[in-house]
Amino acid sequence: MTEARATGPEPPPLPRNPPPPIDVRQTHVVSEFKHDVPLTTCRIAPSGGFVFAGAEDLNVYRWTLNGTPAEKTVLSGHTSWVRSLDFSRDGQWLYTGGYDGRIGVWPVAHPRPQAVKMIDAHQGWVRWVRVSPDGRLLASCGNDNLVKIWSLPQGNLLRQFEGHQRYPYAVVFHPDGRRIVSFDLMGVIKEWDIDSGKQLHNLEAKFMWGFDQKFRADMGGARDMRFSSDGKVLAVAGLSDVKNAFAGVHKPMILLVDWSQQKHLQKLTVDSFSGLAWGVRFHPQGFIVGVGAPQGGNKGMIWFWKSGEEKPFHSVTLSHCGRAIDLTPDARRLAVAQFDGLLRVYQLTQPERQG
Amino acid sequence: MRRDYGCHRLDHDLSRRSFVAGTVAGTAGLASLVSPGQAEALRNSGKRILQIYLQGGLSQLESWDPKPGTLYGGPFRAITTSVPGVHICELLPHVAQRMHRLSIVRSLNLKTNSHHDGRLFMEMGRRTGVFPYVGAVASKYLAPANAALPGYIHVTTRGLTDNTEAFLGARYAQLRLLGPKAPEDLARPEGVSRVSANRRDQLRKRLNRRFASGGAQPAYTEAYNATFDMAEKLMLRKKLFEAEPAAADLSRYGKHPFARNCLLARSLLQNGATCVKVTHHGYDTHAENFNFHLEQLGEFDRTFCMLLDDLHDSGMLDSTLVMIMSEFGRTPKINQRYGRDHWGTAWSVALGGCGVRPGVVVGATNKLGTEVSDREIDGGHLFHTYFQALGLDSTQNHDLDGRSVPIGDPASAAITELLV
Repeated sequence: MTEARATGPEPPPLPRNPPPPIDVRQTHVVSEFKHDVPLTTCRIAPSGGFVFAGAEDLNVYRWTLNGTPAEKTVLSGHTSWVRSLDFSRDGQWLYTGGYDGRIGVWPVAHPRPQAVKMIDAHQGWVRWVRVSPDGRLLASCGNDNLVKIWSLPQGNLLRQFEGHQRYPYAVVFHPDGRRIVSFDLMGVIKEWDIDSGKQLHNLEAKFMWGFDQKFRADMGGARDMRFSSDGKVLAVAGLSDVKNAFAGVHKPMILLVDWSQQKHLQKLTVDSFSGLAWGVRFHPQGFIVGVGAPQGGNKGMIWFWKSGEEKPFHSVTLSHCGRAIDLTPDARRLAVAQFDGLLRVYQLTQPERQG
Repeated sequence: MRRDYGCHRLDHDLSRRSFVAGTVAGTAGLASLVSPGQAEALRNSGKRILQIYLQGGLSQLESWDPKPGTLYGGPFRAITTSVPGVHICELLPHVAQRMHRLSIVRSLNLKTNSHHDGRLFMEMGRRTGVFPYVGAVASKYLAPANAALPGYIHVTTRGLTDNTEAFLGARYAQLRLLGPKAPEDLARPEGVSRVSANRRDQLRKRLNRRFASGGAQPAYTEAYNATFDMAEKLMLRKKLFEAEPAAADLSRYGKHPFARNCLLARSLLQNGATCVKVTHHGYDTHAENFNFHLEQLGEFDRTFCMLLDDLHDSGMLDSTLVMIMSEFGRTPKINQRYGRDHWGTAWSVALGGCGVRPGVVVGATNKLGTEVSDREIDGGHLFHTYFQALGLDSTQNHDLDGRSVPIGDPASAAITELLV
């Protein structure tokens, strides 16, 4: 062995502390960033260096993921809350969807970021923004019941899609880049062809909507929506089983749709939990992560589902209600935006040894 | 077993405290009875009330008292109105264009967060006790003796059966309609001729008179008589309910239940009803306050404004007191469900029309909307204001078979800044 080693190149030295494997049962908090009002959403920049959060004020906030909580940068320019964020593919630009009807464009890493553009995008709230896989388009939806496509980086309106009868809550690009999918208040899912502007499919998930007979109001909509990286499965976070919409009595649900077959694949639910699912992500290792807020009490949850199983195989109790979730690029950490103003970063492994 | 006749004897309904207070006020000469002459003049004045009840508790921050950009301001912005310097929430764009016809009270403090207690205070003008609702008092003093329709009609989609008339008597009670359709069984039964029906009615009245002359409590027969009288009036005007609204009206008002109820309210007011109350449900937003206010005020804003326009354009607004009220407002603090909870401490109402100075804002809340900072108002003040705007001296007394009870709370007074 000694001779063989002497004739070949030296092997690279073994890392002194090899990164521990993903093991969600070991999920633990690695950092916390505190804001003084409730957070509405969060996203981790593609570089993995920054985490951004919207809040129940008029600003978006930026922290350095490996920095200190005190390093909070304010992105000020919207005149209402921001509930949706996304990034350019090169990670240089942040797009913010505001309840003031505008889409903001911000330099991600600037020391004092100012909006380089504020696009008047929708009449009423912009509920969702999402960048296309090739980074050349931005999709948005809003309270004018429209879904729109914008050019990047110019921010020009290229196309708008009419057809939703009630507010579309979220819109995503299919990974093939040629289609977008939108989900509305009533549980109606529409697939649109970007080039032709035509509606390709109309699928319903009425169990993610409820009409409250007593108060005569509709409750439903997507609180988060994602395609799997291969485009085969669409995941929608929201609610089902509406008992009392005005008191928030319903069940969280994450719906998985087999997109190639255009049929419901699975309804991921949680026993003994009344409330809403506010976030969902496909983890590269094949499981699904969701976050939710309860109807009563203040303990939100992170849930982990294995493929093919309806009940979570593991869950983590939050210090307060979870309102959004995002994974770091290496999928080893996730950030959760909470009602108590905390943005918590969890590591999905056992604690790493120092040194 | 005694039946509930739907009416209430005076000696049951007057609490000892309110009775003593009323009697003392009367005998001390602090207030006089409504004189027959004044009463007659009021009944012939043609004045009336449109009461819009946003049930569950409209958020003042999403309507009349927005605080955008503050800690509890929520996501909606304030917009300018037709009254310079007055801003309201962006959820009321049509109202904003008509703000010069309305006024706002931004400093209500009912000191209760209870649906029941708040509703009663806003309707009775008293925090406690059993007193007639605004509509019942209007029916007693404003409805002509020969009114073509019941004096106090409530159009709603659901609701509670309240003791609206209290000690005034069943003839002033609220007639509640569930939606824009005529009450069931309004038509004369098939097989009963008009002649036969009249004979039956005459027999009923004769028996009632005999029953009353035997010393029975008149309230027992009065309830029956009042019910029959109301039914008779409705039967004569059932076309009001049968006609489908014109397409142009549906286009303007909308096609949802609140729109149809408001169209009926317009017809009722045009045809002689004295107080019409329309309830719009769905403001008790403990969860998703912002999404639900988008929905509910989206219905209210346009529909209410079409009704306001029609009253104005027909010349009726000057003689119609318009009030937009709830039982309380909603907490400034936004809860974990994006909801706002019950809040009677610092909230708003709007009113306009007959006798109300338009374009006025009374009172204020502090920067965060958590407390009244100027001119605290409660249900008692509003009650006096309503009736003084209509020309009824609310500091006078009801004359109840020789006993007197103050019409409005003697401890309260009208909001004079609002009166023309």
